[in-house]
Formats: sequence, structure tokens, C-alpha cells
Amino acid sequence: MKLKSLLTTAMAGLIGLATLGAAQAEDVLDKVKAAGVLKVGTETAFAPFDFIDAGEHVGLNIDLFAEIGKELGVTIEWVTLPWDGMFPGLESGKFDMVAGPATITNARMERFRFTAPIAEATVALLKKAGDDTITKPEDIAGKAVGSGKATAQLAQLVEFGATLPSPVEAKEYVSFNEAYADLAAGRVVAVANSFPNIAYVAQQRPETFALIEPPFGVKTYFGFPGRPDPEYATLMDAIDAALATIKADGRLGAIQKKWFGVEFDTPDKITKAAI
Amino acid sequence: MTFDLDLIVLYLPDIVRALGVTILLWLAGSALGLLVGFLIAVARRYGPRWLDWALLAPVELIRGTPFLVQIFLLYYGGPFIGLSLDSITAGLLGLTIYGAAYYSELWRSGFVAIPKGHVEAAQCVGLNRTQTLRRIILPEMTMLLLPSMVNMTILMLKETAILSIISVPELTLAVSALGTKYYAFVEGFAILALVYWALVEACSALGRYAESRLSKYRFAVS
Amino acid sequence: MSWKLFWLLVEAARLTILLSVISVSIGFLLSSLVCAAVMSTHRSARIAGKLFVSFFRGTPLLVQLLLIYYLLPQIGLNVPSEVAAIVGMSLCTAAYQAEILRGGFSSVPRGLIEAANMCGFSKFAIFRRIRLPIAVQLTIPALISEAIMMLKSSSLVSVVGVVELSRMAQDLAASTYRPLELFAAAGLIYLIINLVVAGFGLQLEKRMQWGRT
Repeated sequence: MKLKSLLTTAMAGLIGLATLGAAQAEDVLDKVKAAGVLKVGTETAFAPFDFIDAGEHVGLNIDLFAEIGKELGVTIEWVTLPWDGMFPGLESGKFDMVAGPATITNARMERFRFTAPIAEATVALLKKAGDDTITKPEDIAGKAVGSGKATAQLAQLVEFGATLPSPVEAKEYVSFNEAYADLAAGRVVAVANSFPNIAYVAQQRPETFALIEPPFGVKTYFGFPGRPDPEYATLMDAIDAALATIKADGRLGAIQKKWFGVEFDTPDKITKAAI
Repeated sequence: MTFDLDLIVLYLPDIVRALGVTILLWLAGSALGLLVGFLIAVARRYGPRWLDWALLAPVELIRGTPFLVQIFLLYYGGPFIGLSLDSITAGLLGLTIYGAAYYSELWRSGFVAIPKGHVEAAQCVGLNRTQTLRRIILPEMTMLLLPSMVNMTILMLKETAILSIISVPELTLAVSALGTKYYAFVEGFAILALVYWALVEACSALGRYAESRLSKYRFAVS
Repeated sequence: MSWKLFWLLVEAARLTILLSVISVSIGFLLSSLVCAAVMSTHRSARIAGKLFVSFFRGTPLLVQLLLIYYLLPQIGLNVPSEVAAIVGMSLCTAAYQAEILRGGFSSVPRGLIEAANMCGFSKFAIFRRIRLPIAVQLTIPALISEAIMMLKSSSLVSVVGVVELSRMAQDLAASTYRPLELFAAAGLIYLIINLVVAGFGLQLEKRMQWGRT
């Protein structure tokens, strides 16, 4: 295709020109320390990790990054974007790393460098309160279940649905919050999301939602994604070191207990994820 | 950043299907909106006074709130009052209601703008009511309203992008889902911009063509 | 829904109003330049003006905002969220307002201009005394609708990280899991703001009824 190659060349030229300016990359940790500010991108609609409670930006991320900031001797500046904007924002340098967090998967590890796990991310199901037709995960066979588009949780749902006697109809939503709204409206019988998230939903609105135990997915973990580029390596190393300290002295456990009601046993490092 | 055109080629069928949904909803929503808007305008102008007042509130309600809010309430709130629509039906209904409110105001401005003199002159030369409507009022009004109608129809196209919030499988949702899945955001934005731009230009060109065909009905407004 | 939540929405609405006022004003100034370019006798200025209008009217504001926010850093222009939002909104509304102004100028009856010419008015005097006032008078309703449109479109700037009214409603919905109440409340606030703007527009129209028969 002639047009295609022409376009590719033109684009490559433009991008080459653009990257030329940014060729002399400085070490990001030095830059962060010199500025005294670590910029973190996040979405404020992912309770209990990151949300707006009565006007205050709160959640596990806020507490944990406050500790990370103390360890590094910097303050944290939050940049809040819809989740769709997280990775473009990271790649265009709007912030130094992403909170989120995101499920650590092998495909994502090829593209990003994750911090050590900060919580369990295993996928579970949320149903409508008082729905007696679903008591265990297998009961969603043949029914419509919602999840967020292009998420690891959706992939798990589809995989699990395929193992059931009659297939699950997986409905994709722009975010999990629309999926919850549709569960309340009755178009789906359940929503698949990570266990800490839906346990919190069920706890906040027990009259509307209920948790289906146990989680059905393979064991996965949440981590904070950062960039794999060499100039970011020292920053990501420093954050991992800070997280190790915070975990070792019990602060991570205390923060988990505060937001999830339980402490998770998380591995120190993930080199190969279950999915 | 990677600008990977292979990805676009690979997912062309998906994108084309989503584009079809966008175009279908756009055309159907605009056509229904035009029709319902016309009925509202006629009812408000020629119906009893209470009808005019009764229709004023919903029209202003729709015009005064963002489409995003309307579509969210219709789709996620509807089931609580027994109106459980699937996403495409809800999208079409939402677009129709939204368009009808705006188109009705345009039609109304058209009714007002035809000079009485033209109608009287038509009667003087012996045209009956239907002839006056068909030969004078409708063509003159079309000429007068065409630019703003085309504008509104372009707006309708762009509002279809908002239907992604209720998971209508339209262009913006499909392309942004691909972008998220393959971390190919830049390709996604570029495709979206180009496709919408092309559609808008086609719509404008059609409008200009119609305008040139109807130009003999133009009259000076002062 | 508690009053506290409603109050948070009202606070966020102030940002919505601020962004819209700034963008519509900058857009108006820009639009006069664009309109002048489109109506200019220079071919290149005309083409540039038309291309500007075509692009910014032809692509969704959402896409424009994303391009400004994520693509500009590639050429070394890392604009903060608020700036990206204002730039995007201003450019978009400038294109629409330019079209409205052009429509206004081309609707000024030719006879009036010819008459003024005959009476010996200079070109500038014709512009200042005849074309501009009539064009403004003719375009006030359309400009007000455009301002209302921008107020509503400002709900899109959340994609570049500005927490305005509709994003606040979404955020609060995400933590309280009560989206319907919050969206309805946000809709109500938009409606009130827009009714005020529309009322202001009607007043303005009444005051500008000079020379109308």
C-alpha cells in the first residue's frame, strides 16, 4: 500500500523530530528530588484506592504515597485524569508514575515497570442484594455480567465464563462505575471486578449490592505502573526500596487494614504474573 | 509513542462496523428529531395556548442540560421507572428527544420569519392554502433554515460520541477500546478526528449543494 | 443526597462557569480575526481561515482536547490541564463564533450599504456605523446559544484532568455509588446556569432593538 508507507514515513519523521528535542534525558529521580515533588497520575473514581469522599481526595493511594513521599523526602502532587488518560499521560510526561493501581499482568509488564505488589487484585463478583439465584461464582452461567472495557478483570471474566456449561455474556462499560449503575438497573446480574474494590462497594451500599464469595479468578496483584525507560530506572528502584521499608515496618499492613478491613499477604516482587 | 498503521488495517472491519452504528444512529436520530421537532413547533404555534406552555418546559429542560447527563439518566435511571431499554434503543431515543428540542426551536424561528406579505401575495395571485404552503412557505423556510439545520445535524453527529457512556458500540467507544487495549492512543485520536471531520465535511457539502439548488427562494431578511 | 454533596457540586460549577466565560471571551476575540480572514480579499488568508473553521467545527471537542493535551508534549509543549482546557474550548468556540459573525455580516442588506455609499460614507464609516451594529444585532441570539453550548461542552474538559461540574458528579457517584441522584443534581445546576444566561441574552436582545421595524 503506497499511501500507507507514505503516511508511516511522514509520521516517523514527525516523531523523530519530536523525540530529537528530548534526546538528552536526565535521570528522573534526580529531577524529582531537585524539584522536591513527585507527580503521580491517578483516577479519582476507584474506591477504596482513590476517590473523593465529601470533597476530600482520599484512599489507600493517598496514604501510601504520603509514606513513599516521606521515604524519598519529596511531596506528592496528584494529577487526576479519567483512567483512559493514564497511560497516554504517563508516556507524554504529564506525571512521573501512575497510582491507580493496575493489575500486574505479563502483557503489561512488557510495556510498563510495576512497583512491588500493594494489594491483592483477584477478581470476584458483585450481585444485587437479595438475589438468591446466585450464591457462588458458577451461578452466572448463561447470564449477562458487566466489567470495565479493556481491563484485566474483563479478561478474567471472559476466561472464567468460557469454562461454564453455558457461556456468560460479558458486557463492557467505559468504567466500573457504569457497570455498577447497570447492575442496580438490572441489565446485568453481576459485575466482575477486583476483590478489594467490590468488597468496598458492598460495604458502602449493603441495601443494593452484595458480594459473591469466593473470588473466582486466578490470584493476581495490584501494583503501581511506571515507565520502563532507563532514565526512570533509579526512580522506580527508589520507590520499590521505599515500599519494602513501608511493608517491613508494618505501615503497609496498617494502611490495607484501614481501607480493606483486612491485611493482604503480598509477594515482595513479581517477575512472572499468573495471567 | 508508536504510530502503528498496521493496527489500523488489522482492525479496519471493527472500525467500519462501529462507524456504521455511528452513521445509522446519527441519520435516524436526526431524521426523527427533525420530524418530532416539526410536530412540536406546529403544536406550539398553531395549537392551543396551554399546549405551547406545556411544551416549553421540556424543550428548555433538554436545551439547558448536557446530553451526557440526559443519556445517563435515561439509560441508568429508566429501569427504576420501568423503562428498561437496550443501549442502542436508549441511544436512539435520547438522540431523538435531544434533537427534537433543538430542531423545534429552529422550525419555530422559520415560521416567524416568513413575511406575511409573501403569503398575502400568494393568495392574491390565486394560490390556495396547500399551494401556498408547498410553493412559497416550505421552500422559503427551507432556504432560510438550511444553514442552521445543517449545523444542528453536524452537532447531532458529534453528540453520538457521548453514547459510548451507555456502551453503544459506536465509533468513539470502539476506537478508544482499541486504543486502551493496544496502548495505541495516538492512532485512535487521529482516526477519530479524521473520520468525524470527513463526515462533517460531507454533510456541509450536501447542505451547500441544497442551498445552491434552492437559492431562487432566498429573500432578504432585515 | 446530602446538602454537603450538593454544595460540592455548586463549588465545581463555579469552575465550569469560569472556564466557559474565559473561553467564550477569548473565542470571541479570536473569532473576529478568523471571520476577518475568511471574508478577506487575500486568497491565502481566506484558505487559512476556512481550514481553521472546518477543522474545529468538524472534529469533536473531545478529540481536540486530547490532541492538545497528549500530542503537544511530543513537540515539547507540556501544557497543564487548565491551559489545555481553555485553549481547546477557545479554539473550538472561535470557529463556531466566526461562522455566526460571517452569517451576520452577510445578512446586512446590500441596499443599506449601497445607500451609505451614495451618501458619501467612507468604507470605515460604513463598517462602524452600518455593518458592525447590524451584524451584532443579528447575531446576538446565535452568540448566546453558542455560549450556552460551550457551558454544556465544558463537561468534556474532564478528559484532560479538570474537575468541573460533571466530573465532580462522576467522582462523587463513584464513591457514594448513587449516580442517578448526583447526575440529576448536576443537570439541575446546568439548567439554572443556562436559564440565567438565556435570560441575560433576552435582555441584551431587547436593548439592541435599534432601527428595527
